[in-house]
Amino acid sequence: MLDLSLKMLLGDRAKYIMLISGLTFASLLMTEQAAIFCGIMQWSGSTLDNVGAPVWVVDPMVEQINDTEAMRDTDLERVRSVEGVAWAAPFYQGMLRARMPDGSFKFVQLIGLDATTFAGAPREIVQGRLEDLRLPNTVILDEYGAKKLSRDPARPVRVGDTFEINDREARVVGICRSRMSFTGNPYVFSTYHQAVQYAPATRKVMSSVLVGGGEGADAAALARRITAATGLSAYTKSEFLWRTVWWYIRNTGIPVAFGATVMIGFVVGLAISSQTFYAFILENLRNLGAMKAMGAPDGMLARMIMLQTLTVGLIGYGCGVGLASLFGAVVLRKGMPPFFLPWQLPLITLAAVLFICWLAASLGIRKIRSLEPAIVFRG
Amino acid sequence: MLASMKAPFDSTLPFAVRTRGVGKGFGEGESRTEVLKEVDFSARLGELLMLVGPSGCGKTTLLSVIAGTLGADRGEVEVFGAPLHRLDKAAVTAFRAAHIGFIFQQYNLIPTLTCVENVSVPLRIQGHAAGPAERRAAAMLEQVGLGRRGHARPGTLSGGQQQRVAIARALVHEPRLIICDEPTAALDSENGAKVMDLLRGFAARPDRCVIIVTHDNRIFKYADRMTHMEDGRIDRTECAAASARRAEPAALVA
Repeated sequence: MLDLSLKMLLGDRAKYIMLISGLTFASLLMTEQAAIFCGIMQWSGSTLDNVGAPVWVVDPMVEQINDTEAMRDTDLERVRSVEGVAWAAPFYQGMLRARMPDGSFKFVQLIGLDATTFAGAPREIVQGRLEDLRLPNTVILDEYGAKKLSRDPARPVRVGDTFEINDREARVVGICRSRMSFTGNPYVFSTYHQAVQYAPATRKVMSSVLVGGGEGADAAALARRITAATGLSAYTKSEFLWRTVWWYIRNTGIPVAFGATVMIGFVVGLAISSQTFYAFILENLRNLGAMKAMGAPDGMLARMIMLQTLTVGLIGYGCGVGLASLFGAVVLRKGMPPFFLPWQLPLITLAAVLFICWLAASLGIRKIRSLEPAIVFRG
Repeated sequence: MLASMKAPFDSTLPFAVRTRGVGKGFGEGESRTEVLKEVDFSARLGELLMLVGPSGCGKTTLLSVIAGTLGADRGEVEVFGAPLHRLDKAAVTAFRAAHIGFIFQQYNLIPTLTCVENVSVPLRIQGHAAGPAERRAAAMLEQVGLGRRGHARPGTLSGGQQQRVAIARALVHEPRLIICDEPTAALDSENGAKVMDLLRGFAARPDRCVIIVTHDNRIFKYADRMTHMEDGRIDRTECAAASARRAEPAALVA
């Protein structure tokens, strides 16, 4: 009987397409909006990804990676003295204004790295050499910055070009690949000492200390030891990322905005699918009543209805998640808007779609259970 | 015509259906209406019995109670000796699937399935696999003269053809009791005669019983007996010849 139930469903083209469209729309909206939200959250911790240090030590007042509270230079030595610390390097980050040769200004995310170890240096240099950062007044720009800092889209910034940061020359000696920052400003890498020259003069300038343990060292245990010994906050990369993500969830309207859209997708999918499927059941009520009269038990009819809803649900889910992935593939190539589709997201969408199917099927099954087979004898 | 070949009714045949003191009402309190009032009814094996009477007299309700699609409030209903009034819902459902075939006024064919698939439904309900069920369904359609329309959808057939598909569906699992609700009401006299010939030919066998609720006096001549209902009660049961004789002038007028 299950194959016949599918034929009954497929035979009613209009409702079949309506059901699939509703569930596709719901799956697409839920997956795509949630993936953009995840992408934004991922961007919020871009610095952690672009600077790949195992342990980050910051002032206890710092709540997340984009928050800076300058530390004393002596804190670097205190961290280095902690047992298990194999290396510790000063780190600077700040948002500064860059003045381009044509006189325009752009904000940049300046990163200052230890010139000796280059700990936290960009992993993929696509033009130039990392070592050239040791030359005076030099920077490495990310690919996005190379495009954004140029007025001519056909001629992005190249190695050898110059601009100014705080009235100091910055000569581009390399272009690197990095993840976009949360603020949308390009990353500009220089040495720590060069960065503090670019930065406005303040008493304290060090943003954080990047730390590595020996080979095979437990980063989490090392972070706990640093905190215990120095009173500074030390986090593994993962801990700091989640701390950053939760900070944005708690302190910004981003989750509410995206959550509302995801909820709209869910509610619209639920409404369209339940209503359409219920109408489908009502239209087939006499046929289902006839089957009941002919001896089809309620369980058999319930299984038929479940199969019908599951079929449209899974097809709608496949189309929706497929379209969301296609959208992701296009935007990731363009770099905007942020998009990150972790494996959990399609599973959550699947659970939501299955819930919609279950609810739509339940309405139909309830109707069938209460249906008197004698209905078929009424003209 | 098969109707003209029918043998005289044998009143010694065993009972196929028997009800005693069946009552059924609808509604609550003051709005409650008693539709069946202590109905004693019987139909025998090998018999084609017509249940007739004015609209609202309780024919369809009695048919539903006999078919087990509606429970009686009181009284006893026996079909082939099985006490339906004592069986639970699941057992009555299983009994219907095994022993009863249905022919409805509105045909109730599923429009999105082919004729073969529609006819195979009772077999599929009984758990037969698709292949064997559809082969038997195709053979049954052949018997009702629609062998070539097996893959057509009901919507592409005439009313008479659709009712023949419905007859094939009612008979495909070889039920012993065929319940028909106004099977010719939507058909012209030629198609109505074809449908009744089929019912007489395939359904009314010694091991089967056919009960037809009808207003259509054109088909009275096919009945072995006619049970007249009036106001929720059995008014009288008589051999069809006498009844048909009374009906014929009306048929001529119609």
